[in-house]
Amino acid sequence: MRPADLTPVARDVMKLPASAGLMFFSLLLGYMVSALPWGGRWLLTRPDVLLIVLIFWTVHEPRSIGQGIAFVMGLLMDVGDSMLLGQHAFAYVVATFGAQVLRVRILSFSIPEQTLHVLGLTMAASAVTLLLNLLLGADFPGYAYFISPLVTALLWGPVNWLLYSQAVRRRRESTP
Amino acid sequence: MIRQSPSFFHRGPSPLARLTFFTLAAIALMIADHRFHALEAMRLSLSVVVHPLQAIARMPSEGFAKVGDYFRNQQQLLEENRELKARVLENAAAAQETRLFRAEQQQLLQMSAARGKYAEGGVIAEVLYNARNPFTRKIVVDKGLTQNVQAGMPVIDGSGVVGQVTSVGTFASEVTLVTEKDQSVPVMVVRNGLRGVAVGAGKDGLIEVPFMPVSADIEAGDMLVTSGIDATYPPGLLVAKVTVVDKKAAYVFAKIAARPAAGVDNYRYVMLLPLPPAGAPRPETRSAEDLRKGAKERPRRRDAPR
Repeated sequence: MRPADLTPVARDVMKLPASAGLMFFSLLLGYMVSALPWGGRWLLTRPDVLLIVLIFWTVHEPRSIGQGIAFVMGLLMDVGDSMLLGQHAFAYVVATFGAQVLRVRILSFSIPEQTLHVLGLTMAASAVTLLLNLLLGADFPGYAYFISPLVTALLWGPVNWLLYSQAVRRRRESTP
Repeated sequence: MIRQSPSFFHRGPSPLARLTFFTLAAIALMIADHRFHALEAMRLSLSVVVHPLQAIARMPSEGFAKVGDYFRNQQQLLEENRELKARVLENAAAAQETRLFRAEQQQLLQMSAARGKYAEGGVIAEVLYNARNPFTRKIVVDKGLTQNVQAGMPVIDGSGVVGQVTSVGTFASEVTLVTEKDQSVPVMVVRNGLRGVAVGAGKDGLIEVPFMPVSADIEAGDMLVTSGIDATYPPGLLVAKVTVVDKKAAYVFAKIAARPAAGVDNYRYVMLLPLPPAGAPRPETRSAEDLRKGAKERPRRRDAPR
């Protein structure tokens, strides 16, 4: 095994995983924030909180959260947003796949560099949604469309602070 | 690029295999939903899970709004206001009917034989939220199957046509706005009875009237009301006001832009009108797909040598 694998990732893998309740409630909260009545001019800047939480758990708890959960959450988003069923699901699965592939790399960086990686993932998810809608005959909504993935990626820091500090504290208390 | 874990850490299919599987599943879902509209039942059952969550998510903002109202106004005024708004909606259909009557008087047209009754059994609904993505123009209202809402019901507000119910859930329904791309409403000009079709432009607050000849008698400021020939919208509901008419001899058709009469983006309560009773059978039924094909063919004909 490469030494890089032993440093941040392998150390965490040996410890107690985050509680299922924390994962469930953070995803639920992410969904609720997305379900807030955003409208008008703010619509384009709406951060996809659910996506960032999904990416977070995929990176930190890959054995619990993966593409299956992402798919289901995406379907729920599609129903809530009254879009064609499967659009969000597709976008989330693509982003989660990216997170699974890149997680070892992401975890070896500090938060600002991690944010750049996450920006790539959120951009990919938005691009998937955009392409699907263009294929279905929608008009290009303007470049402001890419503000939303940017804002979403910028949430990586706060989400990390909020969730990771919780998870870490939990692990440290319960493992000797 | 993809790190394969050694086989003794067996963790199921590889990420790439999973990606392929879920991508195919998503594409299959989209095709089923888009082409065959086969997933209404699935959407319906998911919406039973989703709508309570959304109701909870709306609570804070609604709570804030309510507290704000309390400090700004007296409770009594609020009550009265709400009542009046409901009454305005109830009267809206009648008021708009009157507008048509006046036009008819002037033109001595005999159209009243074709008029269906409406605003009887209409459902007043509160707008829950706008569909939250930049690609669709839909709103979700708080009445569904439990209040006998049906897909296809026309939706109006105090000043005009808002759109049409396109999907019905248990406790909520989706209304596609008249400004949604390709959402069409048969209209006529109040001034002279000229018929046409108002089609949403897919941009906020814009309706187009395509396929009007350059010689058509239509000018900026004309009011467009529903003509009622589609047996969906009752006749005489105000749809839009023409803002720009661009007639150049080089065009085959005039370019006509209109602004929706209803406050398509800012309303709280709307009224769902009942579908008119089925009249005489239609001579031929053409799906939206055929109509779109027909629309595409027509400009092409111009290129053919004459």
